[in-house]
Amino acid sequence: MSEPQADFEPKIVAFLCKWCSSAGSDLAGVSRIQYPANATPITIPCTGAVSPMYILSAFNKGADGVLVSGCHIGDCHYIEGNFLARRKMHLTVELLKFIGLEPDRFRMSWVSAAEGAKFAKVVTDFVHDIEKLGPQDKLKKVVST
Amino acid sequence: MEKILDKKQIDGWVAALTANSPDEWEVHTPALEEGIWTYQPANGTVRLDHPNTKQSPKEFAFPQREIFFSFEQIKGEAPRLTQIMPKEQRHAVFGVRPCDGRGVPRMDKVFNDHVEDKYYTSRRKNIAYVGLACNKPPSPNCFCLSVGGSPVSTDGLDVQMTDLGDRYFVKAITETGKAMMAAGGKIFADPSAADQKQVKQTHADAVAYPQRKINDPDGAPAKLKASFNSPLWEEMARACIGCGICTFLCPTCHCFDINDEVHNKAPLSGQRVRTWDNCQFPDFTMHSSGHNPRENTGARLRQRVNHKFQYFHENFGTHQCTGCGRCVSECPVGIDIVTVVNKVTEHAG
Amino acid sequence: MINIQDIRDTARDMLAKGEVRAVIGYRRGTRGMLAEPAFITDPEQASELVWDPTCFHNLSLYLVEDRKFLTHIRKTANAPIAVVAKGCDARSIVVLLQEHYFKREDVYIIGVSCEGTGVVDERKLAPLLNGVQATDAAFDGDDFVFTTAAGEKRLPAREVMADRCLECRIPYPKEHNVVHGEDKTGRQLAEPFAALTRFEAQSAGERWDAWSRHFDRCMRCFACRSVCPMCYCEECVVDSITFPVTPATSAEEKANRIRWIERSATRSENITYLMTRAMHLAGRCTDCGECERACPVNVPIRMLNNKMEREAREKYGYEPGASIGGPSLVASFLDSDPGDFIR
Repeated sequence: MSEPQADFEPKIVAFLCKWCSSAGSDLAGVSRIQYPANATPITIPCTGAVSPMYILSAFNKGADGVLVSGCHIGDCHYIEGNFLARRKMHLTVELLKFIGLEPDRFRMSWVSAAEGAKFAKVVTDFVHDIEKLGPQDKLKKVVST
Repeated sequence: MEKILDKKQIDGWVAALTANSPDEWEVHTPALEEGIWTYQPANGTVRLDHPNTKQSPKEFAFPQREIFFSFEQIKGEAPRLTQIMPKEQRHAVFGVRPCDGRGVPRMDKVFNDHVEDKYYTSRRKNIAYVGLACNKPPSPNCFCLSVGGSPVSTDGLDVQMTDLGDRYFVKAITETGKAMMAAGGKIFADPSAADQKQVKQTHADAVAYPQRKINDPDGAPAKLKASFNSPLWEEMARACIGCGICTFLCPTCHCFDINDEVHNKAPLSGQRVRTWDNCQFPDFTMHSSGHNPRENTGARLRQRVNHKFQYFHENFGTHQCTGCGRCVSECPVGIDIVTVVNKVTEHAG
Repeated sequence: MINIQDIRDTARDMLAKGEVRAVIGYRRGTRGMLAEPAFITDPEQASELVWDPTCFHNLSLYLVEDRKFLTHIRKTANAPIAVVAKGCDARSIVVLLQEHYFKREDVYIIGVSCEGTGVVDERKLAPLLNGVQATDAAFDGDDFVFTTAAGEKRLPAREVMADRCLECRIPYPKEHNVVHGEDKTGRQLAEPFAALTRFEAQSAGERWDAWSRHFDRCMRCFACRSVCPMCYCEECVVDSITFPVTPATSAEEKANRIRWIERSATRSENITYLMTRAMHLAGRCTDCGECERACPVNVPIRMLNNKMEREAREKYGYEPGASIGGPSLVASFLDSDPGDFIR
């Protein structure tokens, strides 16, 4: 593993469910909580709608880390969505681990609309962990000349 | 120029070519990886005991992926295109079987027909093919003799090597081949009369070895033409799954697709890329309207067989198929071009 | 011990009585010992059917082709189509039925048990034949018998059987209309997922080294996808070229379709393709092994599917192809599903 580079800014793609985690991130903002700005948020209707392809595509495009965050179990706006996500995301990360990708590059969390502080903490922790791992170069598309 | 090369010295010849200043050769030899033979950069011990490589050597002059040019557009300016030509580097490919060797001039014909494909020719002019004659057929599905080839053919090769047991008989076919052998210097010895006799016998034995047979190769173009609407095509293609194996492994299949790969949307930048395409893919002939003239496997099998044994013949006067047998051996469901051609020509109206 | 005449009789009788419109089975091909798929519509052709260690194809693939053809010509069939199915193949049919691809009465399953053995793995056999081609292969108890120009070669089946057969727990088509051969469920020739376990014993670095080389070698011929009965999508999401168009498709739609990966067979694109395919087969793959057999450059594709299968079994108690009425793996959940990985 390469030494953490001083100027490495992790690029994190964060799939946030609109009803809970995205609202939670809004609350973090409104509360003026400071946290690293490395996560690009993508709002989705529900974590159950996250196709494994989105994760793979994010890594293919060069994401250093991918976060999927949604409502707590039992609180899903669509009743079952996050239960399905729990299965699909587990399978996805197991497959990524299997081929040798660092498991810590994928993270999943339950963050409710009231948990602005938790959201900030999740992102802060993730950024720090990715900084240690360095840039993602296994699945990233290489532009050759 | 005909020489003898002790098998223990072949590494030396490759080393001499690699170090040959100022025109170094990048040498590629067959190597076994994960149970398949592929061409790899020469690395230490050279092995030439392969039957045939899984993929043909067409990838050197016609790679699976090739960049034509890069494009970028800075806001407010006109788009900038930068042509990307292949790096000027000489390549020597060792262990090329005669069927693959014959594939080379057939590819050359296609990429120089009416218009010169500069991407192809700029690579091609820097490649030398060092062939290895087949003392016996490397595959149970070989049929080079049926299509005008032979296990000792030198067509398309720069050098031909013949395995004589503990040594190779090495013969230069082109000026490039001569120069390559000269680079080896004292590694080569002069052949004796006994050597010459053994080569002759080895070649004669090779040609006499039984192979699969296309029954009427000369009559095939006309008979295939007459069989365009035969129901046999659909029948024989019934098991076809439309994978790309036969076409991608074939030494003379050359269809390609061109796509723009956009790396960045703003500012816009990307590359125009050529990749191999495949007439066996169901959507190969899909029109923008949604109509597909070859929408079933029968039509696509007919297309491939006709291209090899009729259309190419009409355009260039020779069969495109060189009888390497890969499509027969590798088809997961047993579609067999020899059986197909024989059956269709037998039933031709 | 299966008598091939029984299979031929079944096929002939069903066709003669008009109870099925065609029989998809195996017959001898034109390449030495290898069997090939056969599509017979005439009772007389039933005598061509064979059953030997080279019957590795998953013929349920052709049920999918048949259904697509009928849809395309806008016809409904007047009788079911029969198919010869091994255990793994029959489980594929169950998955197709689970997904309502066709109805149970549309297919007549002529089940064949693998009994104590399975099918041969040509890659394991080749070095044992010393370059001599076999012209015939036959089952004989715990052995396979190969006929070659250099005489008969008898080998313990275990030495040349496909890994998937060694690891198979149910070499018997539980879902069938008629079945030939004994049910040898539980014969346990090798541990389930043995090949996967061996691979997973390596470190992450070693696994990446191995897989990155495999991904580099892939030439995106899509044979793995073409040979798989479960990859029946008209438009493969990973392959933007297969986007089906009709006269009604607007230029806007054509220009804006998502391109998940490029056509180039480069490592990153191959990874996205193969991983997506493995995810899409999670809970659906019944380990027929055809993807790995078809791959011309020996990518161990089956291992990706096996990984998903093991997760499904160990974490969710899920078995693909076990029951026609069962839920799909990724469209169902249990309260006990693991969730420790979620913060």
